[in-house]
Amino acid sequence: MPRILITRTGLITAAGAGVDPVLAAMEAGRSHIPSGVGTGAGAGPAGAAPAAPAADGTQSPQHRRTPWPTATLDPADTPWPGGKLWDNAKKYANTAAFGAVAAAVQAMAGAEPVTGDTAIASGVVMAVGCSGSDELNEAMARIAVAAQTDPRPLPKLLYDEVPDFSYIRGIPSQIGQFVAIATGFRGSNVAVYGEGGAGGLGALAQASRLLRSGELDRVIVVGVAPPLSTTMLVAYDREDRLGTAAVPGAGPFDAGRSGAFPGQAAVALLLEREDVVPVFGADAVPVELVSCESRCTPERSGAFAAAAGAALSRHGAVPDVWWAHGSGSTATDAEECAVLGALAAGAHVTSSKGTLGTAFECGGLVDVALAAESLRRGQTPPVGLLVKPDPDLGDLEFVVGTARPAASARTALVTAASHGAKAATAGAAVLWGGAL
Amino acid sequence: MNPSISDLDDDEIVITGMGVVTPIGASVADFWEANLQGRSGLRYEDRMDLSQLPCGWVAGIIPDAMKDEVRERSGAEGRSWGDTLMHDALDQALTDARLTSAPARAAALVWARVWPGPSGSFPQDYAPHLQLQAERYQAVGTDPAAVAEYLADRPMPPELTDVSEFQAEVAARIGTPVLGTRLEATCSGGLRAIAEAARLLRLGDADVALVTASVSRSTPYVLSQYGQLMALSRWKGEDPAHASTPFDARRSGMVINESAGALVIETAAHARSRGVGRFHAVIGGWGLAVGTGHVTAPDVTEVERVIRTAIDRSGLTPDDIDTVNAHGTSTKLNDVTEAGALRRVFGDRLSEIDVCAVKSLTGHGSAASGVVETVAAALTLTHDVVPPVATTTEPDPKCGVKTSLTPVERPVRTVLKSSFGFGGQYASMVFRKAAGAPGR
Repeated sequence: MPRILITRTGLITAAGAGVDPVLAAMEAGRSHIPSGVGTGAGAGPAGAAPAAPAADGTQSPQHRRTPWPTATLDPADTPWPGGKLWDNAKKYANTAAFGAVAAAVQAMAGAEPVTGDTAIASGVVMAVGCSGSDELNEAMARIAVAAQTDPRPLPKLLYDEVPDFSYIRGIPSQIGQFVAIATGFRGSNVAVYGEGGAGGLGALAQASRLLRSGELDRVIVVGVAPPLSTTMLVAYDREDRLGTAAVPGAGPFDAGRSGAFPGQAAVALLLEREDVVPVFGADAVPVELVSCESRCTPERSGAFAAAAGAALSRHGAVPDVWWAHGSGSTATDAEECAVLGALAAGAHVTSSKGTLGTAFECGGLVDVALAAESLRRGQTPPVGLLVKPDPDLGDLEFVVGTARPAASARTALVTAASHGAKAATAGAAVLWGGAL
Repeated sequence: MNPSISDLDDDEIVITGMGVVTPIGASVADFWEANLQGRSGLRYEDRMDLSQLPCGWVAGIIPDAMKDEVRERSGAEGRSWGDTLMHDALDQALTDARLTSAPARAAALVWARVWPGPSGSFPQDYAPHLQLQAERYQAVGTDPAAVAEYLADRPMPPELTDVSEFQAEVAARIGTPVLGTRLEATCSGGLRAIAEAARLLRLGDADVALVTASVSRSTPYVLSQYGQLMALSRWKGEDPAHASTPFDARRSGMVINESAGALVIETAAHARSRGVGRFHAVIGGWGLAVGTGHVTAPDVTEVERVIRTAIDRSGLTPDDIDTVNAHGTSTKLNDVTEAGALRRVFGDRLSEIDVCAVKSLTGHGSAASGVVETVAAALTLTHDVVPPVATTTEPDPKCGVKTSLTPVERPVRTVLKSSFGFGGQYASMVFRKAAGAPGR
């Protein structure tokens, strides 16, 4: 069976556009999560200018503080393409669509849109949840107030007052259609998300199956963690406490951690079967996706064990580097380390979540992009906001403070979990960065 | 009589269990009987005032007594109605498949639960939901910190985050880790889920796969939004059953419904290994596509492409297809587009091919429709009878497909099933019998 290669990546995070600024921030010990209490969604890093409103106006700068510090995207990094087609499509695009299209365009930069049989052999897999459309935003709240006195029956009031694009633009696979337009990929399009998402690794596993089966030659996997409504953040906090102060010592695996910090992101990974790679030229240095699996069990610990066990069994080796889910959640970090410590014994352990926050629907995909590049560079960056590793997490090789040389590292394990104990889903991917 | 599994090669993918909850039946037997009798599950939606909408006054609603029955069987505290529907359909399918012991390896679970929005599934809950929104807005505005504080101790409905314990509950129910995929592909999602499950089996990643999908979202918000799209039926006549008339000249739009379906599929070898002697249908090939031309309008070229791909990957030719289980939404554009694609594929033979359209009786169940209608497709193979399209009394010559007001008894070796959706979603799949069917 031909190998599956990751040949192109696009990444947009609070650190900026691309992989480089993220790794630079991690290596410099610079977190992009605002440090203070009450500097939540919409705010930039501490001391930075406030973020501008998102492209579709979902968030406005005066409404940017929640109890949970959030690493946010700069809307300038998620431009919407120009031209009549894109102008017409724009009203159906929410913030997640802006991120998805921008990440896909970045990944495919320099490549001509595919056509003909190549287009039909190329597909899209999305990792993005339902946005709730306009149901949760400010416009809906105002309509709710109006409904108290408006004489019109409720369906008629909503028919008249809710914008006609609102329902469609909340659909995950609708965003995938935009990615299909941007890339020319017409094979198929599906979203994999929610309880089964595992931070996007569910989508990556799905893409892998499309390629392994021979149904498609290439798949672009696009994940987006858009701004979350306050209601959603409250719900997430109930599921598993979110962090409230992103200060040194509050990061993943730290003895002082107290919860995950939300982070926005958009990421695109182009997967191609080895035998079709030349379609896009040789400007990318590919990394092999050896395996990707997701599993759900009644308890999350079992999910970590089942997913990582299945992924590593295809590879048959101990990883050199482990990009852990490592969100800073008190419970999840403990469960993850307890289960995976033995499987990744001796590996450098790092996490991007102390630098970028947790991109709920696509954190695993973000880490795959970062892990691929760190394998190429032969260096493992440290964990943001990690000062004193929690001794209860076991004797693991956490990368603290400064980057660790890893010139001989060839194999990376990436793990991710859906948020909250309810979901009880975990994913694991194994990358090979050695000679192909 | 269900065919014997001994006639199959080891690697054939077979449906061994089925379950449904629909407006016309909450068991496979009742659902099939209603299909053959042409008994409609459509009624005027009287749970909210739709009188001022330009369309969409009829819905496929699960009767209250049936809802109570389903809740009694499959409800649980804190469980959403959408999850309850999936649990019920899946339990039926697992029982039908006699899957009583845990599979040796992880079981695949592919599901599509259509999110009804944070208010949940029922129209009567929407006004209180908006009332809470209004109270919150008037109390604290939209400042996130104030909203967070306001919500801190307030209850939240299970549908709020669109994340549930469904997958973990299924893992506990069957006693093995679940290789789970929750997918969304608009109204083609159910058929796509079956394709994903079959692919998992063909790759050897699992021995058995469970597929389920549910929808229940007849709320003021959803009705108003579909109304804006002018996608809903404008039928105002005496009998609401005639609101959904696929391929009929009078058709005026779709009727949304609440429903769920579930399947157990596995390799023939696995089914035999656990003593299963009978099955419902063999899954042949499928075709999937994403169109990039329009957000909502179907494209005849893409429909043709997925149909041809499904037939080709089944090892068949168009001449081998005996009957069509259509997407058939009853919208002006879908039906004429689907019919146009069928004519491109089958040519003049289309006028001889019996076409059924389950949505004529149930309404449109979005992603659930692909699974529910696959149950009908499998039963068509099992019983050698094509269900009627009982409401299509004036077939549209522009569509030119052959529908019948009564069941058509005839040998059926193969069924072509299609589902399409907004966002350029297209899916087709071929199901076939074992012995005597072409393509193997």
